[in-house]
Amino acid sequence: MTTTTRILTVDDSPSMRALLNHALTSQGFDVSQAEDGIAALDWLALNEVDVVITDINMPRLDGFGLIERLREGSRHRDRPILVLTTESSEEKKARARAAGATGWIVKPFDPAKLVAAVRRVSH
Amino acid sequence: MFHKPILPNPSGLERVTVMQGQALASADKSVEFSTVLGSCVATCLFDPDARVGGMNHFLLAEPPPGYDTAVDEHYGLFLMELLVNEMLAKGARKSKLKAHLYGGANVNRNMMKIGSVNADFARKFLANEGIALMREDLGGTQARRVDFRPASGQVRLRTVEDRLAPPVQPTARPAVSFGDVELF
Repeated sequence: MTTTTRILTVDDSPSMRALLNHALTSQGFDVSQAEDGIAALDWLALNEVDVVITDINMPRLDGFGLIERLREGSRHRDRPILVLTTESSEEKKARARAAGATGWIVKPFDPAKLVAAVRRVSH
Repeated sequence: MFHKPILPNPSGLERVTVMQGQALASADKSVEFSTVLGSCVATCLFDPDARVGGMNHFLLAEPPPGYDTAVDEHYGLFLMELLVNEMLAKGARKSKLKAHLYGGANVNRNMMKIGSVNADFARKFLANEGIALMREDLGGTQARRVDFRPASGQVRLRTVEDRLAPPVQPTARPAVSFGDVELF
């Protein structure tokens, strides 16, 4: 049995995915990546994960859509989902919360705060 | 003290200055973005189909205490992503974006090549994101002024006196709190 926390990061920016990957793997997390909501759903259909970190603005299926789709089924109903976004509006934050997000982080992210948040929601 | 009257802009354009740390986008034909760059880099993005353009103006920040990287890319990356998101919000499509890069001069020869580091970061970002770089005027030792009409993609570039450019010191991380986490 492994105790490594598995994280799926969902972001359409390869630069942001690389930065997230570095910030999280250096702290011992097992990180997988998806480029948008559809790619995340495909990956999650075949793999297990402990925490999802998702962007909002993405092609095909955005972060709101991804959260809604994950909360529709029973498998990911209680999965911690952190939103990591450049959006700072209260309206968008309220929408993410209503869709079932676990937390809201505004970019540019602070690696220490992000890691602390992941540890908190995954235990 | 005498005050000069503000004359109406003969071109009828509304000139909007893009300050360091900003990212703006518009589809308004009457808007012209303008900025002056020393070591900073400005990215101009344009979607020729949607007729939407945007400009940012960044200087990579020094790393926060305790970090061993040479520069802190977090803030530059944030401003690039913010620009792309502003463009998308105005109707642009990421796959259609064309880019220009300006600035990145090493204005003060005695300091580390901050301009070169900023320019390399911007090129690398565009390559990573698959955004076509159509034109660049980077490096050298002279400050630049860039005027960009977002609705048409037209750019006018001039070299200017160094004293007009912002300071060449790398900025510290923004004093405002960022990356705050709110758990619901």
